Amino acid sequence: MNDISVLIVDDEEELAAVIAERLEFRGIKAQTALDGETALRIIESDPPNIVLLDLMMPGMSGLEILKKINSFKLNIPIILLTGYGSKEMTLEGMNLGAFDYIMKPCDFDVLVTKIQEALED
Amino acid sequence: MNEKEIAFIGKITAGVTHEVNNVLASIREISGLLSDILSITSAETFPRKEKFEASIQKIQNQEKRGVKLINQLNKFAHLPDVSSTEIDLNELIEHLIYLTERFGRIKNIELHTQPSGQSVKVITNPFYLQMALFNCLEYFLKNLKAGGKVFINPVNNKTECLINIFAEGEFTDSSDLFNETVSNELTIVNEIGKYSGAVIEYDKLKLNIKLKLPLEK
Repeated sequence: MNDISVLIVDDEEELAAVIAERLEFRGIKAQTALDGETALRIIESDPPNIVLLDLMMPGMSGLEILKKINSFKLNIPIILLTGYGSKEMTLEGMNLGAFDYIMKPCDFDVLVTKIQEALED
Repeated sequence: MNEKEIAFIGKITAGVTHEVNNVLASIREISGLLSDILSITSAETFPRKEKFEASIQKIQNQEKRGVKLINQLNKFAHLPDVSSTEIDLNELIEHLIYLTERFGRIKNIELHTQPSGQSVKVITNPFYLQMALFNCLEYFLKNLKAGGKVFINPVNNKTECLINIFAEGEFTDSSDLFNETVSNELTIVNEIGKYSGAVIEYDKLKLNIKLKLPLEK
């Protein structure tokens, strides 16, 4: 897992930071972006292996970010982080090609398994 | 309260549940990180490691309890979103009991439901039905002595759907029990019942309340 890099896109700064720290703890390189613009800049300059993408964010929404990532044609698997009231957005995200989704608060082991599955896919 | 006022309370509550959910997600990850760090330490290098592990476990248990509560509260906040929708009564009643367990606990009265073996679906106003059931519950909580039990059971009998609310235990004063003309709670049940399309029957002998709803065609 040492050469895997994950980008966590979530406006909840502390949550994103702790998820990153826990992934690092398991040997997965992780960085965070608190908004869509930052996330897209990182993806263009240093594409990660996987993106964990929160759907409900102020400014550019998760779905808009997903569409932009798709337009880069980098084939990066995206795991959606979903919350209440985002059922329809999740469905749309899956239709747009997201690899999978996970509901917040997530079971960390499940999240790591999904990351592994996404890489093996 | 009119529909706009109810919707306002629902929207604000739903918004807050989103935020609290994020708080709980952070607590889960922070406590998880502490567990990760502890897992690579030994009892020799980390004094009172066991105590720390036990405390983290307690934080995680409380976080899970919080998640369950906030999930139910979010569902509740969305009840006024629609004025009429298909409802599974088994789910609606379990939801109500989870949210109102505390009211029973304070009076040392247990709240129960025995879900129907099959799904019992009706089309009604979920908010008003929930409110009518809550008032029935409150009625029993007010009149039952500590140690009693209240049951809210859905029944599906092909032509109509029934919610049977009854109690086991001793009542404080049974003289005016189920007298809807003197009971404020039962007057409210009657009022609200109309909005959910329920017909309400009181059985003074069996000491129960029945809410009858038309079955979904």
